[in-house]
Amino acid sequence: MAQVSTSLTPLDITRAPEGGEIGPIQSGWKLAIREFAQNRLAVIGLAILVFFVVFCFAGPLFYHGQVFNTNLTAADMPPGAGHPLGTDDEGFDELALLMWGGRAALEVGFFAAIIGIGIGAIWGSVSGLAGGIVDAVMMRIVDMFLAIPFLFIVLIVAVRYGASVLGLSLIIGAFTWLVPSRLVRGEVLTLRVRDFVSAARAAGSGRLRLIRKHLLPNALGVMIVNVTFNVADAILAVAALGYLGFGLHYPTQDWGDMLSNGIQSLQDGYWWLVYPVGACIVLVVMAANLVGDALRDSLDVRLRRR
Amino acid sequence: MKVAHPVMKMAALAAVGATVLAACGTSTSTPSFIGPSGAFGKVPPAASGPKHAGTITVAEPPGATPTWIFPVTPGANSSVYTAYSFQYEFWRPLYWIVNGVRPVEYKPMSMANDPVFSNGDKTVTVTLKNWVWSDGQPVTSKDLLFWIDEARAAIKESPANWGNYTPKYGIPDQIVTATTPNAKTLVLTLNKAVNPTWFFEDELPLIQPIPAHAWAKASVSGPILDFTNPANAKKIYDFLAAQSKSTKTYATNPLWQIVDGPYQITSFNNTTGAWTAKPNAKYSGPHATPMSSLSAVPFTSDTAEFNAVKSGQIDQGYVPLTDVPQIGSIKSTYNVFGYPGFGFNYVTYNFLDKTGDFNNIIKQLYIRQAMAHLEDEAGYIKAFFHGAGGQAYGPVPAIPATPYTPSNALTNPYPFSVSAAISLLKSHGWTINPGGTDVCANPGTGANQCGAGIPKGTKLAWNMIYNTSPAIIGEQVTDLVSQARKAGITITLKSDNFNHMIATYYDVANPKADNLWAMEDFGGFSISAYPTTLGIFNSTGSFNIGGYKDPQADTLINASVTSGNPSAVKNEAAYLTEQQPSLFQPLVDNVVVWKKTISGDPLSFESLTQYQLNPEFWYFTK
Repeated sequence: MAQVSTSLTPLDITRAPEGGEIGPIQSGWKLAIREFAQNRLAVIGLAILVFFVVFCFAGPLFYHGQVFNTNLTAADMPPGAGHPLGTDDEGFDELALLMWGGRAALEVGFFAAIIGIGIGAIWGSVSGLAGGIVDAVMMRIVDMFLAIPFLFIVLIVAVRYGASVLGLSLIIGAFTWLVPSRLVRGEVLTLRVRDFVSAARAAGSGRLRLIRKHLLPNALGVMIVNVTFNVADAILAVAALGYLGFGLHYPTQDWGDMLSNGIQSLQDGYWWLVYPVGACIVLVVMAANLVGDALRDSLDVRLRRR
Repeated sequence: MKVAHPVMKMAALAAVGATVLAACGTSTSTPSFIGPSGAFGKVPPAASGPKHAGTITVAEPPGATPTWIFPVTPGANSSVYTAYSFQYEFWRPLYWIVNGVRPVEYKPMSMANDPVFSNGDKTVTVTLKNWVWSDGQPVTSKDLLFWIDEARAAIKESPANWGNYTPKYGIPDQIVTATTPNAKTLVLTLNKAVNPTWFFEDELPLIQPIPAHAWAKASVSGPILDFTNPANAKKIYDFLAAQSKSTKTYATNPLWQIVDGPYQITSFNNTTGAWTAKPNAKYSGPHATPMSSLSAVPFTSDTAEFNAVKSGQIDQGYVPLTDVPQIGSIKSTYNVFGYPGFGFNYVTYNFLDKTGDFNNIIKQLYIRQAMAHLEDEAGYIKAFFHGAGGQAYGPVPAIPATPYTPSNALTNPYPFSVSAAISLLKSHGWTINPGGTDVCANPGTGANQCGAGIPKGTKLAWNMIYNTSPAIIGEQVTDLVSQARKAGITITLKSDNFNHMIATYYDVANPKADNLWAMEDFGGFSISAYPTTLGIFNSTGSFNIGGYKDPQADTLINASVTSGNPSAVKNEAAYLTEQQPSLFQPLVDNVVVWKKTISGDPLSFESLTQYQLNPEFWYFTK
């Protein structure tokens, strides 16, 4: 009868493991940043976003094109000396308008996204942790809101109460928490049965502490990714409102309003009223999406290339 | 957008810059009219040489689809397009008060001689000319009476059944008795004296003779009834209104084939609004020989319409205001002419808004004058209208040229000048903060003080609601707000849509909103030949949207419709131009185009800008 060995072969720690070299141990965030930095599109997207933030917020400090005092004698001027991107029908400088309009778009975009993710995170984590009928009711409320045409409601509110950066941010934010709430709930549903949550619960953590200390921090990746998509969506929503004529009003400028004004004159040959602002909207939204995609890839270990 | 104003007998315009069609003149008249001041382009003289008939295709602007054929039109169906560009092709008004671009009578197209006023202007006698119906029957005074009784029956059921109805004023409320002593004569006895010019130019043209011998029945195969019996008149109205609601039968219903206008309908697409018509061989009015058939082609957008023009698909169309810079691309194929329609555009003040004491601020004439100084009308026309417009300083502007334009509306009494606005404010006790907000520093009622009800520290800051369509409204108010900033007046803008504005920011109809708005710009009013602002600026007017109240204005407006003074409406307009009860804005040209292969009386092309469609004067040159 053959002898069955009961001893294991001693581990040869001088040989490299089959999985490859073992590097120094790094935190998850560092790994994510490294992953992000290796994604060329993500870096380009981030660079575009940074450029627009600088362009819109620091640009007006250095470029003083007129966007507050109309000058009808200089209306619809093509690009040239004094007006690198021409003027619109009010005689406003298009380049300066892009800066000021972009500022409003970015402000609303980021503010609305933060509001949306804030509400969504709380709603989703409470729903996921509570479970049962509370979870069912809270998710049906989300379903109900998702069934309402978002732009339609925003239009009504904008007409009724007027549009401002703060107002639009609140309105858009109030409708962009729905998807994040579902995502966060999904994360919480998987997290709440993990050992460290059970341990925390056994140690006496209340629900609020569980959410604050254990669930939300572990769902942070999902939330960050969603913020970037929400920024893009909010910027598009502001542009759509402006395009329909119910966006921000003078003296505040917004890209949608600029695009709407320019479209009317496109066939008249006033290309400078359409293409630059159209390009800005496309670039910023695209950049936010690129960054979002890359963040998702880098924060989710299953999607990492290594 | 312009709003309907029954007192002035008009129908709602679809939008500033939209157009429609012709009027006036005979095919043999001398081509004498050359573009008047304020016009965009010129109307060429009528072409000599052979005249050919064919089918003339005309553009129907978006929203201009006819929805009512019976010439007692409910308010909900009333529009310049339904009336002037559709019904008038089949049933002519008693008097034709459009002559090219001038709001004066064109006698050859009127069905009656000028009315005779007697009994202290309380009796009106109308004598018909020799017109006939398409079935050969003569048009008689009974046909006039039939229309009056049907209008009365319609209103009795609901005032909304006739869009031009103004309670207590004019037809039919002021008619005590209407008699027909013979087949050509109608005698109206009124409840009180009227201004003959007003009654002639604004009221009598509302009457559209309708064929009593064929229509005075309560069912398709029923007998002809005595329509002077109110019970019968109601039955007849109900029957005709029901027939009119059935748009799919417009071309097949034998009722609508009996016409006195130049055309008979041959098809009507109740889905798209497209319709065609053939010449009425028995038409009694002036027309070209031979007459062409007509085809109205609907469009769902201005862009689609102008694309059709650019590709030469229609014979007569219009140029949307935003496309005026492209006119050069169609000039080889089309004639182009633009002129403002009768009426005025304005920004309304809310004299009842107590927010920030705005009601007391705006009551001050110097404030309204300062606001007028901040309006750069010439700049608007250049930058926003692409040159297609005319300046207007009061309710009766210099263009279109009318006999009633007051002398103080010929040149701007308050020309654009921010410094003039600042001077006015400074001289009345305001501390000026350009780019900021002015503050009342010297309260009181003295000549150099802020004015009654304005306490120290009051700020010149309020809101303004504006209509997002057409876009030129937003462009104009943006410039106004920018100029106001320079003078230290802070105006906060809020956009809205026409229907919501009229339903909400309207002191007469919705007093709950009195303190929600200070200024609003929804467009303006189209206007008829006799341009009284009864209903708009008199203190009890149903269209007095901002609650303007001025006893002197009330007296003058009342004189315009009740006194025998032929200058009464001119005096009214002069006073209102001086007082600036609202901020009057420049007028936009309606720019129309027609192919160079079509010619005819120049006046008939000019009056296209007044929404009048008269292709009976047109012929093909090739």
